[in-house]
Amino acid sequence: MMAFWQQLPQTPPDRLAVDGALPLSFEQLHNRATQLRNTHPELYGKALALEYTSTTEFLCALLAFDGWCSALYLLPDTTQELAMPADLMHWPADTAVKTPLSELCHSTEPALETVWYLATSGTTGTPKWIPHRFASLCRAVKSNPASALRWGLCYQPYRFAGLQVLLQSALSGACLIDASSGDAHQRMQVFKRYQVNALSATPSLWRQLLMTNQLAELPLLQLTLGGEIADQPLLTKLQQLFPTARVLHIYASTEAGVGFSVSDGQAGFPEAWLQQTRSGIQMRINAEHHLCIKPATVPVRSQHIVVDADGFIDTSDVVQLKSGRVLFLGRANGAINVGGNKVHPEQVEQVLLQHEAVLQARVYGKASSVLGQLVVADVVAKPGSDLKKLPSQLMQLCLTQLQRYQIPTRYHWVSELANNSSGKLSRKESNV
Amino acid sequence: MDLQTHIQKTLLQVAELANCQISQPLTDDTVLLESGLDSLGFAMLVAQLEEELGMDPFSEMQIAVYPRTLGEFIHIYQQAAGSS
Repeated sequence: MMAFWQQLPQTPPDRLAVDGALPLSFEQLHNRATQLRNTHPELYGKALALEYTSTTEFLCALLAFDGWCSALYLLPDTTQELAMPADLMHWPADTAVKTPLSELCHSTEPALETVWYLATSGTTGTPKWIPHRFASLCRAVKSNPASALRWGLCYQPYRFAGLQVLLQSALSGACLIDASSGDAHQRMQVFKRYQVNALSATPSLWRQLLMTNQLAELPLLQLTLGGEIADQPLLTKLQQLFPTARVLHIYASTEAGVGFSVSDGQAGFPEAWLQQTRSGIQMRINAEHHLCIKPATVPVRSQHIVVDADGFIDTSDVVQLKSGRVLFLGRANGAINVGGNKVHPEQVEQVLLQHEAVLQARVYGKASSVLGQLVVADVVAKPGSDLKKLPSQLMQLCLTQLQRYQIPTRYHWVSELANNSSGKLSRKESNV
Repeated sequence: MDLQTHIQKTLLQVAELANCQISQPLTDDTVLLESGLDSLGFAMLVAQLEEELGMDPFSEMQIAVYPRTLGEFIHIYQQAAGSS
């Protein structure tokens, strides 16, 4: 088994990571990672929480500590409610314990199989840690040691989507340009400045990049769509703008590790794939029309992952067979996907119910041609409430407790909400 | 009310609802994503217009077209209204 740093290409290009004005070569990265490891022997075999400060620092730490620590927890920007294991070391350390120079050693300890933990917001709205093996995280990485690609990084690398791009560029020896913050215009300026030719983004972000009317100025060779359902008009538009480029959409399930990519320019994936084993992955559709995946590597044991007797993981993604394609319809658990951000209806309902005028609330997703889905709420308001003022009051309330994408965009005032036979609120079918 | 006035009025209503500040007076040359309306606000505008006009030209396109300016945005609705 080889650690991340041992898998870096042998003949790297000059520059790997461009983080603002700070380019780092492969050799510099390698050296810094080695130095980190050697000056922190106390971290060997320990579980480490990695905080993101910048993309290059994050990449250095990943290179240094994969194979060195027993576990790496990639801390998300909000760690509220996230249960942290005991005895967790932190990086960067609050009080840096520097090993005296005399104790510096070129350690010969064997590389460990580090478990990587990524945070997911989970199915009930409570964030959870999902364990991954490095090999499964790299499953979709295409190794091309002489890669001339310059990847634009659109997401912070502690998120699944961002980490995939980081690993792809590092392991294929491609240049990585950090544009993980800023609006569509600011990102476009960074992409243009560095002549980015490979991009991975959600369909929603691709739509925003198209709205800048500058996308065609990029010399794109590789276009990847992920994190949301890729629709046919968008796929057709991108292929039309870049006729010789490779346009692919990725299906990934956090629960199942990595999924697969589709490169034929069509939405969904060929039905024939259900009868094949592709890159070690098997798929089938269960009785509730959920896609189930049997990954190539056995997933790390976790109480949050349900594996059936045949080794298939229920992804909770509802699919439909149509004209020889398997098309994605949405999440079975009612989770709403707003531009790649997961929203759990229950969490939003809890906030709405705090308002004295809200007697009952049901939150669900409404199809949006711009962001995939939008959050909508059916509300039973207290009789006599001022329905003209209530939306702005609820907006103010939500702003204090929710992310912007979680806040309902539209209220429907209803006289009652149905409960199902078990007495729970009936969940409206998500209208994807 | 003509379509152009309707869309401008709806945009301002949605901006208020979405907690977005529209800094400049709206013109045909207003760049949508720089108008103060963010992507969520823009999505809300398209959803609101769908409720009021009964059409969403963006969901009906075979090949996606995305407008940069308010003028281009209005033109897409005018075309869709004319062809339906």
